[in-house]
Amino acid sequence: MKIFARRLLAGALLSSTFLMSGFAAVAQDVTMVLPAREVGAPTYDPIRGTKLNVATTLIYDRMMLQDADQSFHGQLATEWSVTEDGMEWVFKLRPGVSFHDGEPFNAATIAWWIPKFAGTENAFMTEAIASVEIIDDLTVKFTMKNPDPNLLSNMATTFMGVPSPKAYDAMGDGYGVTGAVGTGPFKLESFTVGQETVLVRNDAYTSGSALSENKGPAHIARLTFREIADDSTAFLELKTGGVDMLLSVPADFRTTMEAEAGLTVVTMPGRELFYMPINTTVAPFDDIKVRQAAALAVNQPEILANLYGGIGAVADTFLTAALLEGKVKDELRISYDPDRAKALLDEAGWVAAADGTRSKDGTPMTVKLWTQNGTEFRRITEVIQAQLAAVGITAEITVLDPASINDEYKKMTEHQLAVRSYSYENADILDWFFSAERLGYPNVSMWTDAVAEELRIKAMTGSRTWDERVVNFTAYHEYVLTQFVFAPIYQPVQSYAFTTDALMVPEVIRSTRVQSQTFLDIMVK
Amino acid sequence: MSALRFLWGVARTPRGAVSAAVLVLVILCALFAPWLAPYDYAIQNLPGANTSPNAAHWMGTDEFGRDLMSRIIHGARTSLSVAITAIGISVVAGMTLGAMAGYFGGIFDRVVTAVVDLTWSFPEILIALLLIAIIGTGTESIIIAIAIAYLAQFTRLTRAQVMALRSETYVEATVNLGAGHAHVIFRHLLPNAITPVIVAGMLATGDAIILEATLGFFGLGAQPPTPSWGAMMSSGTAQIFIAPWIILFPGAAIAVTVIAINLFGDALIDALDIRNRLREV
Repeated sequence: MKIFARRLLAGALLSSTFLMSGFAAVAQDVTMVLPAREVGAPTYDPIRGTKLNVATTLIYDRMMLQDADQSFHGQLATEWSVTEDGMEWVFKLRPGVSFHDGEPFNAATIAWWIPKFAGTENAFMTEAIASVEIIDDLTVKFTMKNPDPNLLSNMATTFMGVPSPKAYDAMGDGYGVTGAVGTGPFKLESFTVGQETVLVRNDAYTSGSALSENKGPAHIARLTFREIADDSTAFLELKTGGVDMLLSVPADFRTTMEAEAGLTVVTMPGRELFYMPINTTVAPFDDIKVRQAAALAVNQPEILANLYGGIGAVADTFLTAALLEGKVKDELRISYDPDRAKALLDEAGWVAAADGTRSKDGTPMTVKLWTQNGTEFRRITEVIQAQLAAVGITAEITVLDPASINDEYKKMTEHQLAVRSYSYENADILDWFFSAERLGYPNVSMWTDAVAEELRIKAMTGSRTWDERVVNFTAYHEYVLTQFVFAPIYQPVQSYAFTTDALMVPEVIRSTRVQSQTFLDIMVK
Repeated sequence: MSALRFLWGVARTPRGAVSAAVLVLVILCALFAPWLAPYDYAIQNLPGANTSPNAAHWMGTDEFGRDLMSRIIHGARTSLSVAITAIGISVVAGMTLGAMAGYFGGIFDRVVTAVVDLTWSFPEILIALLLIAIIGTGTESIIIAIAIAYLAQFTRLTRAQVMALRSETYVEATVNLGAGHAHVIFRHLLPNAITPVIVAGMLATGDAIILEATLGFFGLGAQPPTPSWGAMMSSGTAQIFIAPWIILFPGAAIAVTVIAINLFGDALIDALDIRNRLREV
């Protein structure tokens, strides 16, 4: 009897321990929905990828991270210095760091990594670096072709996550899809493009930066990122407990979510900008007057007030308001002016009929307006369609899948207008989207212009100091604005939401968006 | 005249009367949409977005401040025109293929039957999505996709009817008297095979409305601002908690129309007493 009682007690203890450990494991599993803009990122290859999502920052550590106040803090680099002429940078690397495949991270990694960017679409990130010299196992020196005051900023972008050389070379073109190996706080377990990414905790992680309270392994054991393009579906998933956090909250649902018990909604300054690139090579937009008319037809205040309830800001340049290079002369800002738009179309020979539609030599003014699937894009696009119609431009909408839309632009087909957004906080986004070397995509405007190229190259490579860079990029930005190769639309704020019962998210976000430094500190209840 | 009298007879049954009344209403909406709709379906009024149903907007407004009732009335035109055109094409093509396969037999019959059986084994939505991926989005693409998706049904049905009729004495007599193939097919076989195909076509129109709405829901059909019930429901999903009428009214329009078509089709089947012939496929 005594033996039976003892066995019963032991069994009960074992069961309860098992159950508790089971619950703990379940409780440490977190599911999040990626920001709508990041849906369809086709790869986790930071070197060759042109569209990456936030999970990239968890698989890979970067040399440094950028705080919300734009200051830089070391992650894989612990110290750095630059010579007065800006021609040499020395980086001290964090000791004791290993990749998920067990390979060591050291100076040889950097010497392998930097040259890998050559020939890729991200080459501009490292273009100014002439050579990488290994000083010792944990020290590297960059010798520059020209001073690059933007080097630290580049090093902090998602595209400069450092992959494992061994894994990268072994996987070849499949790298980033079939596997991805970094030194970050999470390992990639599975990735289904456009659907889901599953990460598991890197228990050996010790590289937390000064921007995280937690320097060791993440509190979350298993992290699933789901890709849900439809806002209402994402909201319902959060509301019904299917997911624990939305990394972007659509404007429509902000008020509803704020009223929901058990949900916390946090809003922070935006880094995204919606705009309408105009294909300068296809008629009628090869005529600058027509481009200007289309740009001036976009009623940014109406979109801000009615689609976003006044939250966010109008966009009247190509850069977000936080950037110094966005502070251009007022007369160059592109703002709604329907009368001027109509006058320009008249001047260009597009005659308005009684019903308001325009034609020239018998050709009706009907243009293609591309957008991507997703509530926000479709809605802005329909409003833009109506605003263009108000000045006599008939726009036919084509909705494309987010995962394939960039490939369509790369084909350099006859797209004319498009509604797009980018999320980036550096003036070199101008180079990315308007360089004559990147026609089709990212230069959706298909813009080639000798003056622009001169200004662009000067901005990218001719600046010795940060202040000089600001001046050069401002000049380039101002020229871009004079050519009406795009129409600015809207600058949203960033919002994210989480279930209070499941997660504790730091109140202060030490970055310009929720990424690795915040994920390290997210606690699971 | 006798056909009209027959339809009038069907419409006098309780089930037929209700469904016919609804269908006439929907068809009138589709035909006279520009005159019946109280507002321009495309004109946006953003400050008036998501207004609940009221005296000025009986069904409220959508997220762009457009009158929902006007869009539903115009949406009837999109849904019916796509469904009827697609099924019409499918019926004509299916009857032609089925009649030829059933009449001539041999290799042609085996090839047609194999292809039809292959497409029959996939859901219509899958075939339609596949075709749209190839030919692109838009109203014309949806019509072609739906027409091809339903082709197998009418081909099989006509083939079965023709094969049964081919051994009838009057057909054999006509052949023995030296009538040409076209004469036999178009004068004797198809007129006698057409009734169940027409009824099946009517029932398929209801399915095609749902398929059109589904494709429209995914943004593959009529492009904005042209209203389609499926696309309206799709945009309504984002507003479901703040303006549920945007999704409810188009959803109700689809449901009521499809139920009416199915009820009327059932009434037709009973009146014609062809349930067994439809089951042959």
